[in-house]
Amino acid sequence: MKTKGLIRVELRDLILLGIVVAMKVVLSQFSFGPAMVKVGLGFIGDILLGYLFGPIWGAVGGGVSDLVASALFGQQGGFFIGFTLSAIVGPFIYGLFFYQKPIKVWRIIVATLLVTLIVNVGMNTMWVHILYGLDIKAALIQRAPKEIIVPWLQMIVSYFVLQSVSRVKIKK
Amino acid sequence: MSKILIGRYIPGDSIIYKMDPRGKLLACIAFIFIIFLANNWITYAIITLFSLFAVFETKLKPKVFWDGIKPLIWLILFTSLLQLLFTTGGHIYWKWLIFTISSFGIINAIYIFIRFTLIILISTVLTVTTMPLEIADAMEWILTPLKYLKVPVDKIALVMSIALRFVPTLFDETVKIMNAQRSRGADFNDGGLIKRAKAIAPLLVPLFISSLQTAVDLATAMESRGYRGSEGRTKFRVLKWSKYDLYCLGYFILLVGLLLIFRAK
Repeated sequence: MKTKGLIRVELRDLILLGIVVAMKVVLSQFSFGPAMVKVGLGFIGDILLGYLFGPIWGAVGGGVSDLVASALFGQQGGFFIGFTLSAIVGPFIYGLFFYQKPIKVWRIIVATLLVTLIVNVGMNTMWVHILYGLDIKAALIQRAPKEIIVPWLQMIVSYFVLQSVSRVKIKK
Repeated sequence: MSKILIGRYIPGDSIIYKMDPRGKLLACIAFIFIIFLANNWITYAIITLFSLFAVFETKLKPKVFWDGIKPLIWLILFTSLLQLLFTTGGHIYWKWLIFTISSFGIINAIYIFIRFTLIILISTVLTVTTMPLEIADAMEWILTPLKYLKVPVDKIALVMSIALRFVPTLFDETVKIMNAQRSRGADFNDGGLIKRAKAIAPLLVPLFISSLQTAVDLATAMESRGYRGSEGRTKFRVLKWSKYDLYCLGYFILLVGLLLIFRAK
């Protein structure tokens, strides 16, 4: 009987992980902000994955979300394992900072900056360099304006999202 | 918020449609590595010919492929332009501050343009000729070797199929919640940044709560139908290799062979 209870909790969590992954895929199709700097909402999905499931399962969810998005919408710019890795690292970092921890402004700032630096600036530039043979310096220049503005907007959204989602968790 | 088409599959009937999704997915992944082999104009010409052949083989209208490239066309042009301005070497035609236009730069920009376009074309071929569910099954198959690293592949596969199944549902749900809150005065596209950021919470919380509910219900339903973990279950949807996958393999061997012969040392 005991094992049955174990499976049950695990199964519910796995299904919730699947649904949050689906949520991330849906959210990444939406964006907000003025036309000049559109902020995609996919990062909210990454934050939810990290916050709810921790670094390891959050990372799994991130990887799966990339695969699911590729299967449904086709990967813009080709299937490449590098972008799947990027999708894995984002929730992993958020998981390290948010999983079972109180929500603090500094955590949001540090986590967002780390994700921006490691994933968006570091890894994704690297993949573009490898994939298209683009010069690293040119790739960085192309990316810079967006990556300087967007993180601050993301922090504001993350704050409100974490606040409201933590309320849901306590009520349950 | 525009209506987003889920799944880009377009029904058709050509050899590529008859290939196994695993074969197509592997071919698509391999193509990205094969394109690294091209490094002079002959090899780029060869790989372009081979890719265009695959595109023609789908027997679909060119518009389908143009739709794949269109959202990225500015990115492609901008990327090529940057490459043009920042590459130095060879004969220099024009110089201003840090920008130079050189013969190497022009060649590199053209190569990057071709690479970008070909990679997009080939992944469009995959997504329009294969149903999302088939692609997901193929991905699951490719993940199988990870079992030896003690990665819970069955669980990942379960998560993947649930996510795939719930994307359309959640998409409808999101639109419904947005409309419900709009009807009571919520505004998602107006106001300052903080106001807009705040407006996302009333969207997300109902979505999250209904997801929790769905997860509980689905878990109960799966258990009452006898689900006790992923081990020891049979498969209803089975993928089958066909002779067309052999053709594709031959095609790739020929392509790699030609590239290896003609690429610059």
